[in-house]
Amino acid sequence: MITPRWRKVFRDLSSHRFRTLLVVLSIAVGIFSIIVVLGGRGILMREFETVFGDSRPPTATMHVDIADDSVIDAVSRYPGVEAAEGRRSVPLRFTVGTPEADVPSSGWSTAQVWAVCDFEGQSVRRFTPEDVVSWPPKTGEILLEQSARTVGDYRIGDVLTVESPSGKRARLRVAGFAHDINAFPATFVAMSTGFISMETLAMFDEPCEYNTIALLAEDPSITRPQASRLAANVRDDVVAARGVRVMQTNVPEPGSHFLGDIFKAVSLLLLALGVMALLLSGFLVVTTVQALMSQQVKQVGIMKAVGGRASQITWMYLAMVLIYGVLAVAVGLPSGIVAGRWFTEYGAGLLNFRITSYAPPVYVSLLGAAVGLAVPLAAAIIPVRLGTRMPVVRALTATGITAARFGHGLVDRVLGLLRGLPRPVALSLRNTFLRKGRLALTLTTLVMASAVVMSVLTVRSSILATVDEVDVWQFDAQFYLARTENGPRALREAARSRGVATAEGMLDYPATLKRQDGTEGEGVSVIGLPPDTPFVAPQLEQGRWLEAGDTSALVVNADILKEEPEFALGSTVTLSILGIEEDWQVVGVVSGGMMGPVAFAPIGHMDAILQAGGGINRVFVTTEHHHATAQEQAARELERRFEDAGIPVAATQTQIEQRDTIASQLGILVTFLAIMAVLLALVGVIGLTGTMTINVMESTREIGVMRALGASHGAIYNIFITEGVVIAFMAWVLGAVLSWPASVALTGMLSSAMNLPLQYDFSWFGVGFWLVAVLFIAVLASLLPAFRASQVSVRDAIAYE
Amino acid sequence: MIDSESHAADAADDSVLLALRDVVKVYDSGEVPFTALRDVNLHVHSGEFVGLIGKSGSGKTTLINMITGIDRPTSGTVEVAGTPVHALNENQLAIWRGRTIGVVFQFFQLLPTLTVIENVMLPMDFCNVYDPLERPERAMHLIEQVEMADQAHKLPAALSGGQQQRVAIARALANDPPIIAADEPTGNLDSKTADAVFHLFEKLVDEHKTIVMVTHDNDMAARVRRALHVADGEIVEERVHRPRTVRADTFVDGPAR
Repeated sequence: MITPRWRKVFRDLSSHRFRTLLVVLSIAVGIFSIIVVLGGRGILMREFETVFGDSRPPTATMHVDIADDSVIDAVSRYPGVEAAEGRRSVPLRFTVGTPEADVPSSGWSTAQVWAVCDFEGQSVRRFTPEDVVSWPPKTGEILLEQSARTVGDYRIGDVLTVESPSGKRARLRVAGFAHDINAFPATFVAMSTGFISMETLAMFDEPCEYNTIALLAEDPSITRPQASRLAANVRDDVVAARGVRVMQTNVPEPGSHFLGDIFKAVSLLLLALGVMALLLSGFLVVTTVQALMSQQVKQVGIMKAVGGRASQITWMYLAMVLIYGVLAVAVGLPSGIVAGRWFTEYGAGLLNFRITSYAPPVYVSLLGAAVGLAVPLAAAIIPVRLGTRMPVVRALTATGITAARFGHGLVDRVLGLLRGLPRPVALSLRNTFLRKGRLALTLTTLVMASAVVMSVLTVRSSILATVDEVDVWQFDAQFYLARTENGPRALREAARSRGVATAEGMLDYPATLKRQDGTEGEGVSVIGLPPDTPFVAPQLEQGRWLEAGDTSALVVNADILKEEPEFALGSTVTLSILGIEEDWQVVGVVSGGMMGPVAFAPIGHMDAILQAGGGINRVFVTTEHHHATAQEQAARELERRFEDAGIPVAATQTQIEQRDTIASQLGILVTFLAIMAVLLALVGVIGLTGTMTINVMESTREIGVMRALGASHGAIYNIFITEGVVIAFMAWVLGAVLSWPASVALTGMLSSAMNLPLQYDFSWFGVGFWLVAVLFIAVLASLLPAFRASQVSVRDAIAYE
Repeated sequence: MIDSESHAADAADDSVLLALRDVVKVYDSGEVPFTALRDVNLHVHSGEFVGLIGKSGSGKTTLINMITGIDRPTSGTVEVAGTPVHALNENQLAIWRGRTIGVVFQFFQLLPTLTVIENVMLPMDFCNVYDPLERPERAMHLIEQVEMADQAHKLPAALSGGQQQRVAIARALANDPPIIAADEPTGNLDSKTADAVFHLFEKLVDEHKTIVMVTHDNDMAARVRRALHVADGEIVEERVHRPRTVRADTFVDGPAR
């Protein structure tokens, strides 16, 4: 049989449904945000590792001139090598549909297409079918990497007209979509990835042999130096020994993904905000439980008057809080898991991988449950003890745990001095400061939420400022030529092209660092350019920029230094470009610019060592007008001109397209930040609504008196909405101040996680935006309590206990 | 100021149930300390019906709060049924109060989320008096005594003020305490209902309960056996009225413990 005191516990829960709902929601939103944020982080990290691991990412990839199966067999049998696979990578341009044969390919999309021998037996750098009608694709079919769908409306069955660098065209049918976690997502590089069979490759008159060899080491715990050594040995003992020329060898950090930095930053961000959500929900729970106890003080007094011991009553209230917690877990946990599923799916989509299991890590569910059960209990202990240990005489006469008295303290006196305020406004202001303990707790919650939201907006603005800052290129359009062309001739065509103002040619080749020990470093791009070029304006970090008269001088970007410390300022490094080894002196270091590892060299010296004969393979132009359409039109025009002049173009990019590409990578962070900001704002809203509702409940008698004195619905609304607005405004001021150090710290954390110095840009827009938002929220959060207040009848109010 | 009975007489008299000696109560809550009780001495014998009478602010509620242990004296001693109440801590007070004194408030103070019968069972539950299976039966019996049986399963909000006070009296009797302390039990009731409630108290006295009741109602004051007039924190006058005739419809206590 349930005893009356436990019945009271259940009855209190069920009879005060709105209060129960509010308390449960307050706790649940904390659990929800923890499950979404930390659960999302856990799922993303776990799944990313699983999917990436299953893809068998290569230990090393060699770019060679031409290799056949015998070379691949020999590599795969080499000691320490578990598997090797050869593929041919070809840059193709394509368009949907079947244009006339003489229509130029300018404006077509670009794709990195892999010709694969054995789709079923992939041993390294595996990709998997996602949505296909034929697997492996038949001759005349192409599989697109799924992220292509984010840049174009491609469907299964579409016929693509595809053009090879040599100008050979063929029609390929889209046989479906595959997922390749090792491919750059199309969103980031504005270039799709495709997969075809060797037979299909033959349709483009391309040699049916390989130009890349990917190998996987036997030792799963291999270090990068060991991997470099293994790759160097394979190159020397197997590949080069068979007369195959190795242009470049890439040895990434084992187990690291090219989006690793972004991923690390996202993960860090989620962790930081998860902790914030945890703190916020803790405060929310403390506020709510304290308010709950203050409402129950008189009943505690009655129970003690009829023989209830403090311990008995304490257990009753702790049990009540525990039931709130259980209900909150029942609401917050599943809804968090559902929202977390959406969140992780979205996150995985941005990072281009598929989730196989949405189950949040056990520790996150336990943490969520602990927050739901333990935090409210811990938060309740002090207010419950204060309430139950209060002498009966005080409990029976008190209006709350802390008897609210206005007029003491500096703030009260200052408010008392304010003259000329309309009476309801003065009442609202004084009510706000009546219960200072509660105000402090509510403010803490709302200030933290405000500081986080404004910090997040500052981080966003810093990211966008960084995009502008890191954009070292000063072109309006750039053209990657399919091969090295005669420079003066190409530039002449450019100068004649409509809309082009200035043009310059550069040489851009992949190179490999030859280390002292014979191993090769990470592949880098070496760009040969005139030292006084107006097309590159990098941020100099150390040393100097190239000067006229420089020969073997090299300026490297910070991304190289991150991978290869041998490129330190003043050092001499040996680079292999097109197999030609040459010593270079590092004279300067410029910022990364999100270009990947890039080195700049004087074009004259580069031309000399490569015997390019004044050739160029990259053309930069400025246009007469700089808006997107002008850039686009001028680029298409010049591309057509190049085609007509027999200068095939591999890819074209306008400055705006390039900026979007960089922004899309950092945009992932911005998106995650925005989601977090919304979540934390939600915690703040519920906190404020809770406080306002409890204030209304506690002010019931006052409301009755005011109504007896003739207060209209509108006047009651005004009083409570003004109170909410005053609290929100204070939270905004304090939050804005706090957001400065918080955003500096957050930006610093992100910078170091991404190895990209973010340009700190305090968001005044964010401060203004949050002012509007928080005032709107305050009005919204006060509306329901104000409505309840306006419905109080004088008779009920005066009788209210 | 008068002492209601001398110490010497008190020491010799075993029937003294309640003794306050030199009780002083000073409140420090305002800017100037306020003395609510000044050297009060009071002795109440078992089976007495004592009325504390006085104007608002005279100190009568403070005095009854001393007896119930709801408030503590600044100095002096309070002894009830042999227990030095002033020396008990809050927890000991709660247990002692639950078993020794039934408290009736002016504003009834029923717990709004419990039904009538649950409110009456609550003290038994807290003090673990009576077997749990016995409690509903005893509670129902008490409710019948206050003529509220047909309302037993209603919530307090559904009852009139007089009905709520009847339930509060039934609750005060839940653990069969020897003393009932009532603070203005009729102060919030109309005269007819107040009369009915007072009649209940008279019946309880006939059942040898000791009742201390605060009132400012002169009619009620005239009906108690011993009326103590309180003014400015002191007992300034005592009147003893002749015993009533024992009525035929004697109030019967619930099943024995």
